[in-house]
Amino acid sequence: MTTTAEPQETKYTGKSQQRIEDPRLLTGHGTYIDDITVPRMIEGAVLRSPVAHARITRIDVSKAAELPGVFAVITGNDLVEFAGEQPVIWSVIPEQRIARAHALATDTVRWVGQGVAAVAAVDRYVAEDALELIEVDYEPLPVVADLEQALAPDAPKLYEDWPDNISGSMTFPAGDADAAFAEADVVVGASFRHHAGYGCSIETRGCIANWDVFAGKLDMWLGTQAPNLARDLLAQVLSLPVDKIRVRTPDLGGGFGLKFDFYPDEIIAAILSRRTKRPVKLLEDRQESFVSSSRARDMRHDFEMALRSDGTIIGLRGTAYAVLGGALGTVGSGPPWASVLACMGPYKIPNQELTLKAVMTNRSPYGSYRGWGMPKANIVHERLIEFAARKLGMSRIDLRRMNFPTPEEFPYFSGAAFTYDSGRYADCLDLATSAVNERGWNVRQREGREAGRSIGIGYGFHTEVGAFGPSRVLNMVGLDHSGFDEVRIRMDSTGKVTVLSGQSAMGQGTHTTYAQLAADGLGVPIEDVTIVTGDTESCPYTGYGTGGSRAATLGGAAIVNASGRLKSKILRIGAELLEANPDDLEISDGRVSVRGAADASVSTADIGYSAYRMLNGRLPESETPTLEEIDVFDPANMTTSYGCTALLVEVDRQTGAVTLLDCLQAHDAGVIINPLLADGQLAGGLAQAFGGGLFEEFVYDEDGQINTASFMDYLLPSATDIPPFHFYHQETPAPHIPGGMKGLGEAGTIAGVSVVASAIDDALSDLGVAVTEFPMTPPRLLELIRAAQSAGVTA
Amino acid sequence: MKPPPFEYRSAHDSTETVELLTEYGDDAKILAGGQSLVPLMNFRMARPSVLIDINQTQDMTGIREDDGHLVIGAMARQRVLERDPTAGVAVPLLPAALAHTGHTTNRNRGTFGGSLAHADPAAELPALLVAMGGELTVKGPSGTRIVPAEDFFLAPLTTTLAYNEILVSARLPRLPSGTGTAVEELARRHGDFAIVSVMAAVHLDSNGRADLVRLAAGGVDSTPIRLHEAESVLSGGTLDETSIDAAATAAADASHPVDDVHGTASYRRDMVRVLVARAIRSAIANR
Repeated sequence: MTTTAEPQETKYTGKSQQRIEDPRLLTGHGTYIDDITVPRMIEGAVLRSPVAHARITRIDVSKAAELPGVFAVITGNDLVEFAGEQPVIWSVIPEQRIARAHALATDTVRWVGQGVAAVAAVDRYVAEDALELIEVDYEPLPVVADLEQALAPDAPKLYEDWPDNISGSMTFPAGDADAAFAEADVVVGASFRHHAGYGCSIETRGCIANWDVFAGKLDMWLGTQAPNLARDLLAQVLSLPVDKIRVRTPDLGGGFGLKFDFYPDEIIAAILSRRTKRPVKLLEDRQESFVSSSRARDMRHDFEMALRSDGTIIGLRGTAYAVLGGALGTVGSGPPWASVLACMGPYKIPNQELTLKAVMTNRSPYGSYRGWGMPKANIVHERLIEFAARKLGMSRIDLRRMNFPTPEEFPYFSGAAFTYDSGRYADCLDLATSAVNERGWNVRQREGREAGRSIGIGYGFHTEVGAFGPSRVLNMVGLDHSGFDEVRIRMDSTGKVTVLSGQSAMGQGTHTTYAQLAADGLGVPIEDVTIVTGDTESCPYTGYGTGGSRAATLGGAAIVNASGRLKSKILRIGAELLEANPDDLEISDGRVSVRGAADASVSTADIGYSAYRMLNGRLPESETPTLEEIDVFDPANMTTSYGCTALLVEVDRQTGAVTLLDCLQAHDAGVIINPLLADGQLAGGLAQAFGGGLFEEFVYDEDGQINTASFMDYLLPSATDIPPFHFYHQETPAPHIPGGMKGLGEAGTIAGVSVVASAIDDALSDLGVAVTEFPMTPPRLLELIRAAQSAGVTA
Repeated sequence: MKPPPFEYRSAHDSTETVELLTEYGDDAKILAGGQSLVPLMNFRMARPSVLIDINQTQDMTGIREDDGHLVIGAMARQRVLERDPTAGVAVPLLPAALAHTGHTTNRNRGTFGGSLAHADPAAELPALLVAMGGELTVKGPSGTRIVPAEDFFLAPLTTTLAYNEILVSARLPRLPSGTGTAVEELARRHGDFAIVSVMAAVHLDSNGRADLVRLAAGGVDSTPIRLHEAESVLSGGTLDETSIDAAATAAADASHPVDDVHGTASYRRDMVRVLVARAIRSAIANR
């Protein structure tokens, strides 16, 4: 069932509020991992393989070990004494071959950048000097540089005991796809290629490991989105009890999924610390980040869509190829799997046959990046529906609208895995198209075209699966972890509030939105609320981490639940103090009063005093002292938010360059806690997507070498490349989430790639160009334009 | 991304710089603005054992006019040059080209001479010097010599500077009033090194015939190139679409680009054709 939001009286929730984090962060008073120095700390560096595939025949570290200032040099053989293989928590494909690797290679390297040895030294300079003194002999093995090579019948194999390079394969059927395609009036299909990139946070990854063998404890500072997961995985790899490990997370300079994953560096730092009996800081530098942080997006989707002549979609089928690396990363083939599960998007498609093939190559391990497969799902359904509209001669807007589930059809099972909770898709589409008209884009396009300019308007409709997810469902589909979130909320003896959460704040404003929810939930001023995150010893356990658009939906729901119960207790104590019935009381601005008689009131400070210090005569006999509630929230379903994005572009037909002129998005993520921050999330995500759509690419050569290992060649979009943004919200609350929130952290990244293609196609509609490759660089687009022009001439 | 160990020396003037260069030989590198050298050292691609810092020198600064020429000290910061009114009037190409050189923060620190001596074939200032037929003043142990811009650049990151010579200044001829200029640059993002850049200056006589044409391109050969053939096509004639197309084709034929991650050689050559035509048209329009 889909309902519309009932207006609720809230003081903070739903209102734009500057981030409470801002004064500290914007004045340079944040504490990031590199700002932390612990006593006796030394620094590490990792020697990374310069070749993509080779057997290591000799490593000689003696010269490095002799360099003054060097404390220890370790190789893979030293590491395996204390560490098992790197963990893979997602095993989504039944019978999948899971290729695991140790944090440092032991005998074979399978990607450029794989760790081979590591140094701990007095500082990073000396550590890097020492790396140059390590001698390694590599016996080259044939390189599988890309997907097509990996799939070739005579391909060299990454793993000798495998029959081929395929880690696993599975198909999701629904209905009868073959029959649907046989009876279809129109079939459109294409091969879509999204090249590799990564969730580039401006702060690189880093950690400080302090393995105190005398205390038997591993104390780690780690720039991570998932401190509880990291603690569990450290315990698993190092065979340590979880209670002997503490993970603390300082301020994060961005995470974008990349910092969800668990990296070899954490283990290497721990082993170096154990070896040197000193804390070891190990920071990833920008150059190595291109080979040592999770590679993402790298996939090919060969898909086709079947329709009736009236525009009804009757079938979707195809194969998605995940370009995995030389070993599986933390999330295995999770994101490619999600790209398949979500590839029907917002459309009702009764017959589906969706295949995933996970393929190993000599590239760095595949991992998490904001959007987690869904940007490519979006490319599949949004590109195909536009190709279909073209072929049918129908409006691309109308074709989308007629294939949406109606609000009454929710909860709607999409066919492969996800059940969408609620939605008013057609309303959202109309919101976007009317905004396009209001902004005069159609006029700009017409006038531009009359002046000889190639102006295009792109549209994209996206769905975003958030609130990952019901724990048992996640376990069932192959996650060796859970999906609940736990929150602890406490009012202290002075009536002030502390919320402890296992979520990570990486710049998205979690502390602000949590403070808004807690302040409203308890009826206290937002200034009275402190949010604490980032310490496994004091903060609660979160089942997954900050990812999967979970922070507002699950952590937020837990705050709503916990603060509701705590508020009841506050009112019961207030009733004792005011000699009133709790049902007659309300709490507002930190004062408990009898409804309609504001002069009879007590403050939260009075309540706190009664619950912690002066219990006698103040705390009801039936109440336990202290004011604290814990809520563990495990959702009954995920949430599905959605939106319609429109983009105005200009294409230079002579150079292939694309300029982004303007962008708007109509969006529905249920109840919005903070519109200012919501818009920031949407804009940031879209900017990243435009990076993937036009700029960012790991370019590899035939030897598996990466040719884009600096910001000179890996092109993040900058402010001058990004258009203005305009956001329009509608609110359809998630019926199963207390508070009604749905995820929105990944919306922009999901929506923003395909819409670039849609806009380019529209700008070149007279030529019939169809963009299927990302990023669409100027040379690639010029090639498409010329091919279309010469096809037009011959036709 | 930390440099290997190096020795640091600070020079007081150009003479001491030359002495230090002579003393340390090929192991020494000059540190001016550091916008290219420092990243290269952090990548350990440049490994000088001695760094000679010339930021304390005073005798290589200044921007002045001299006998129909603009003389620019090697240590003039790019941002100062970009905003210098004398320079902007004498050589309007300068501010237009510098707007493409990195970002403001780079130009605050980066120097005029540093960009020339670094000799990146895709950088704007070398292409501008070549377009304008500028002359570079080079100081060595036995005094100074003058090098025409087209002879200064030899190969990527390589100039005629001997190990113990330093670039102290450059001279650019002042353009006659009424000269139209244009910079056309194709880069993936604003501030990136050019895939192709084209500098153009055009002056027409009273009969509408071109009596001054200057064209150069960056990013399309191992050095920035003066497009002499294209200039010849246009010189002395009226500039119409036919002659502009012919000049653009001549320019494309004269370029010898290579493939890199941002574009193939053939794409770059095609872009020379496109950008040369655009640059000539805008130079005419900008008169």
